[in-house]
Formats: sequence, C-alpha cells, structure tokens
Amino acid sequence: MRRDEGSGLSELATAVAHARVAELEDVFLERRAEVCWHLAEGRVTARETLLREGAAVRRDGTLVSGDGLDRPILARLLGIASRALPPFSAPAFPDPPQLEEALPRLPAQWASVRWSWRWAAILADRRAVALRRPDLAEVTLEDGHRALTVWPPGTDREDSDLAPATRVNARVGAARVLLAPAAAAVLLHELIGHPLEGDLLLRGASPWSGRQGERLVRLSLSVSDDPSRTDLPGAFSTDDEGEPAQPRELLAEGILVGALADRESAAALGVPTGNARRANVHARPRPRISNLVAHASDPLPHPPRHEAAIEVETLTSGTMEPASGAILLHVRTAFALRRGERHRPLAPFTLVGSLAAVRSGLLAAAEPTLPVAEPGWCAKDGEIVPTGAIAPWLLLSGLEVR
Amino acid sequence: MRTDADPLLPALQAASEELARHGVRFEVFARLGEHTHLVLDQDGALERRESHELGVACRVSKGGHAGFAAAAGGSAKAGRQAALGALENMLPSRDPLPPRELLGTSGSALPHPPAEPAEQEAFAHALARAFDEVGSGITLVQVRLLGGTSSAALATGEGFLARAAAGGAVAELLVAPPAGPWRHLHFAAPALADFDPEAVARRAVEAALLATRGDAPDRQLTDVLLAPAVAAPLVVALAQRLAHQAPDDGEFARARVSRAWNLVDERPGPAGLLPLPWDGEGFPARRIAVVAGGRLRERFATWERAQHTGEKPGGAVRPSYRHPPVPGPANLVVLAETALRQPELLALLENGFYLALPAGAVRVDHASGRFALRAAAVAVRQGKPEAAHPLVDLRGSFRRLLAALAATGGDAESFSLASAVTTPSLLFRRLEIA
Repeated sequence: MRRDEGSGLSELATAVAHARVAELEDVFLERRAEVCWHLAEGRVTARETLLREGAAVRRDGTLVSGDGLDRPILARLLGIASRALPPFSAPAFPDPPQLEEALPRLPAQWASVRWSWRWAAILADRRAVALRRPDLAEVTLEDGHRALTVWPPGTDREDSDLAPATRVNARVGAARVLLAPAAAAVLLHELIGHPLEGDLLLRGASPWSGRQGERLVRLSLSVSDDPSRTDLPGAFSTDDEGEPAQPRELLAEGILVGALADRESAAALGVPTGNARRANVHARPRPRISNLVAHASDPLPHPPRHEAAIEVETLTSGTMEPASGAILLHVRTAFALRRGERHRPLAPFTLVGSLAAVRSGLLAAAEPTLPVAEPGWCAKDGEIVPTGAIAPWLLLSGLEVR
Repeated sequence: MRTDADPLLPALQAASEELARHGVRFEVFARLGEHTHLVLDQDGALERRESHELGVACRVSKGGHAGFAAAAGGSAKAGRQAALGALENMLPSRDPLPPRELLGTSGSALPHPPAEPAEQEAFAHALARAFDEVGSGITLVQVRLLGGTSSAALATGEGFLARAAAGGAVAELLVAPPAGPWRHLHFAAPALADFDPEAVARRAVEAALLATRGDAPDRQLTDVLLAPAVAAPLVVALAQRLAHQAPDDGEFARARVSRAWNLVDERPGPAGLLPLPWDGEGFPARRIAVVAGGRLRERFATWERAQHTGEKPGGAVRPSYRHPPVPGPANLVVLAETALRQPELLALLENGFYLALPAGAVRVDHASGRFALRAAAVAVRQGKPEAAHPLVDLRGSFRRLLAALAATGGDAESFSLASAVTTPSLLFRRLEIA
C-alpha cells in the first residue's frame, strides 16, 4: 500500500453531470483504513486491519449508499448504466504506521491503540473536491475510556488511579467544582457546541433557538468551531458537502454570535454553511461540531483549587436535555480538595444542574488552556464523528453531586 | 460455488482461494445488510436512506500465529484485501479457529421480506395521524423507521459453508410532551406489518405523559419496578458484563442470585426477536441458559475462550463483518417464572418507584462493576402512584442486580439494542434511586 491521489475524478464528475440523474444533489466517495493493536501489559497481543470504501448518492431527497468503490456500484447508486461512467481511482490505502516506531514504549494501562486514515471526495456541479483530515489515534484505557488525538498518540497522558478501593464517595449536594480542561471541554461541547447545530436549532431541540446576540454566560468566554486546526482530531480540509473548512465563532465574550450549518440548515437559518459531516458513507451529512476552541479574555493564571471543593479531572460523558434544560456530567475521575490541594480520589458520580444554574454559575476560567483528548468521538442520533477541543480550566458553582 | 447471482460469493471465494494458496487454516465471513431508513419530521418533511452494507472478514491461523482483517465490499478484490490483511496481521497466538467437525447449523425461519419504501412512508403517516387522533397535547417531533434484512455466509478452509438470513423492523418516536424532557420511544418487531400504528401511538402517549413534571427524588435505596423498555437495556448490560467476567472469581464470585431470574439466550429461536442458525464462528445455534435456578449457569464462550477455560463454545457474536467474533449475547429472553399482571406487580412493589421509560443509555463503570440508567419514574406508595419524577437515576452494581430480582411480569416486549432482547417488567428490591 502507498499514499497517492485519486485520479479520473474530474472526468467522473463531468460524466455524472452529463448523466442527468433526476434531482441529483451530490455523490460522495470514501475510503478509510484502520489498524487496531490490542495490548496487554505494554505488549502487542493482536493486530486487526479494516479497509472500508463506499459511495453514496443524494438524489430526489433520498440518500442511497453502498460498500465498495467501482463503476458498477456507483452506476447502480445513480441508477444509470456502468458504461456511462469513465474509469476512476481513489487513492490507494496507505501503509499503516509502525507502532514500535511511533511509540517505543507502550503504557501498561493501555488496552488498545487504533490508527485511522480517511480520504473522501464530493462530486457536484461538474466538480470533484477531495477532502483530507489528519490521521487519528484512539487510545482505549483499561476501564474502557477512550482518548482521541491526531496520530501519533502521546504517552505522557497521566491517568489517575482507578482502583475502586482507593476512591471514596463524593458528598451528595451542592458543590463548587473545578473542571480541568478535559472536563471543561465536554461541558462546553454540550452547552455551546451541540445546541448550535443547525438541524437542532430548526427542530426546536436547542435552548439557543432564536437567541442570537444574547449573553449566554457572564464569563468573558469565547468559543469557536475550527475545523482548520489540523493538530486536533475534528479537522478537515473541506466539509462533507465540499465546502472549504472555516473557523466559525459561536460565542464571543459570552455572547451568542454563530451557528453550525450544512447547506440545508444554512439556507433556513441565514448563516454560512461549511459544517456538514458524515459519520460514514451510509450516513447523511449533518451540521456537526469539529474542533471546539475556547478561551477566556481574562483568565486566572492558575487553577483556583482553593476556591473549589472538588476537582473534576475527566468525564465519561455529558448531556444536556434541551427541553428541560437539565445538564448532567458523569464524572470518571475527580478529587476532593482540601486547602487548595488534592485530598482524596473520588468514586464516579454525577453532577446535575439546570441550564440557568450553569449559565450563572460559570465563575472563572484559568490557565493553562490546553488541547485535550475529550470529548473525542461525538454521537448524535447514533452517528459518530471525531471531534477535538481546546479548553481552559473552569470554576463552576450551581451543580449538585448526585 | 456460483458467484454470478449471490453478492456474498465473489469476496468469499476470492478470499478462500487466496488463503488456501498460503496453506493456513482459515475462516471467511461475509455479510450483506440491506436497510431502508425513513424519518418523518413534524413539519411533514421526509428523509430517506437506503443502504447496502457489504463486507468480508478473514481469520487465519498457522504455527502458533493468528491474524484478522476485514474489508468493505463484495468483490473479489475485497476478499483478497481481507485475506492478505489477515496474513499480514499474524502474531503469536493460540489457534482461534474451531475444528470442522464441531461446526454446523441448526436451521431457522426465513426472515420476513422488508417493507417497500412506499409501505414505510404509509406507516409513518398512519402513525402520525394516529398520534394526532389521540389528542394528548404531545408533539410528535419525529418518526424514525428502520427495516431490512441481512444475509451472511461463513466458509472455512476445511470445507464448511453455511448461510444465514435475518430481518426486522424498528420504529422510534421522538415526542415532546407539554412539559418536561423530550422522550424517545423504541419498538421492535420481526416486520413492519407487526406494528399497529394506533397501538404504538397510544402506548407512546401513555408513556410520555406519565412523568412530565416534578423534582428529582432524594437519593435512597428502594424497590423499583422496571417497565420492559427500562429493563431491556439493563438486561443486555448484565449479559455483556457476565460475558466478560469469570464466573468463579472477581465481582461475581459467590454472588447471590435470585431464583426469579431465568435469563436465556434463545439463539435458535423461535422465542426472541432475532434467531440465527449458527453463532459467530459457525457452531450450531443452541439455547444458552445464562442465569437460572438461583445461580449463574453458562458464560458465553468463543472457541478460543473455551479452549482456555474448558467452557462450552457456541456463544460468539459478530457485531458486524468488521469485527472478529467475540463472546456475547445474541437473542436474550427473560422468561417469566411468575408472569404477574401489572396490578399484582404494583401491589408487590408497595413502596418504591415505577420506571416507565429510559432516558439515555446504560452507563457502566467498568472498574467497579456499577451501572446507572436515567428514566422517567413515578413514586409509588402503598401500591398507588404518589408523585411523578421526569428524570431519576437508577444505580447499582450488577452483582446486586443478580440478587435483587423479586418478580417478573407477563408483559414481555422485544427490543433491538446491542443484542436482541425480550423481557417483561422486572421488580427489584433495594436498588439506588437518585
């Protein structure tokens, strides 16, 4: 296997246009390669390879998709004869990286490492647009927690002791919490990122519908979606409808200023497009977050541990229920704080609060602002795409430990 | 093998030939899933998807080495890619491939033909009309329908060849009650024709209206009655946990198990939603008793695990062609020992919570063996509803779940989750509600 570029795609795009398929919107071609190394005690025990390729056609309001990437398959999806299409080729599947070169030392608590590569092209309006994204690295830890970064994964990630015996229950009730960047990224992803996706705004499934220009949080926090950050796993060169990747400002100094849109929702909302993403060749493009980049204009120089009772290091997941405004953060690793120091590790618990409580309870942001491996894979209606984040530490009141 | 009419055979044959040339023991698995998805939005907009997911996977073994790879597509090229990938991935390992003489097929019913797109569309509109006619004040935000069939083939280098087919239909409703959280309802059946739109609409409205307003309850240990929709994901999570824990040490060592449990994997059918004639490695499908008679019975085992532990193989599943076979549930059924009616279950509950509808997936802390599941609930005092709670957290350990089952209902329903599961209402003593 070797890296190369697809060929004949421009001619294919022209031929597709000539075929005059009724109500044709676009044609999507995709190749993916994955290698997963299963590990035990820092050694590779098994290696699995997956090569995927397929095509999808949007026509007459329907997405028709199939695995395999050749003229007969594409012709079947388009509903035309194979001979109407010229020969074409997608880039060859690349050679996977050598794990021992990328990672001379494998941490003992890693259960697996997965490398993934993706190429895609969109054919529309007699044009072929290739889509590139960085190679990704997914590390699965012993407890099933997954960290997603661009390849290669760093081995410097520290993970707290997860042994149940060492962890105590958090005290139930209201608590002021300090969210480390990995946890803050998940909160902001749920609070700002998802609810500004165009289809949710249109469906009335977002608390931010019709709230452009309003102040959402007191904190001078700015949040943007930036698919052009190729150091983060949500990056892409063009979106899955062929629009160039552009940073999109969502929150400016605490004020709602933007939304994420595919073509359909952009037209309805009157905002720019360029945020359409497909989970795979069988999924429709939908407005999705890519890389969420958050920063505060007046951050504290250090995490204010002395002002919080609990430091939350990582979350397993977070959710915001749009109708009720309930926010739930499922905590994976956390510490009880005493006199500004980590006192004891805590057993997993849930932080619960209302949207109003979180909006008014965001008290401070603090440096360092860091790229993190969370939220990683982002699911929406069962469709999963890679995302990245950069976030500061956040001090938050108004949530309850349950 | 004739390859001109069968979409699985070109890849299967090319992979088999490639691997035979290399003189390895091998197994080739191919699967085609043909699905139609329809989404009807509240504004009447229709969104349709038709997908053909097709791929091939190879496992190989020779001289104390084994490898696995998979490739998408049904062409001979895909078959060769999977074969060469598997050969390239060979690492020191036990031989994971079962011997030919143990493989076979139990036979199973043919799946129903999938609904035509026009039938799906008609059903979605009929469901929306039925919802309007109930006149509940609930908004039907979305109807999502999924239907289709899958066919699979498995061949080994020792001459075993087996085919299987399955099918089913899923209807999901996203509804917005006048107050409280939106609700997501899931219904599954062998075919779309098995759903009655009026009955689905009526049940969805009843469930969604049960707990629209109210506060979260205090954290407490209490008795809980789980409706089938809430019990189902917990049963799947329990079966998956049991599949990965050794029965005689770890969290389930000397675990107390309620005699009310009778959990089986009805792989050959006819009970359950998704019977299949063979497991993920080609063992004839057989009924696997998981929990019964007050103790843990059989653990799901692949051939590789069985060789290692002495357990009985035949418990493998393949989540898709992309995955090697793993031990796990396929067609779970909770058999009701008592099959009580709901008033009898509520009387047995006396004081506690009735959990009607899940609100999210089961969360599992793998380190501690604890689970959590959010649901809409009603507090029950002396067998009568007392207060509604739109969202409660049900928590506990899987070990506790085994001990705490007190009674089962006679209202079994099927669901298509990580595995197929059919369960009635389940009454548990002293789980945590928050």
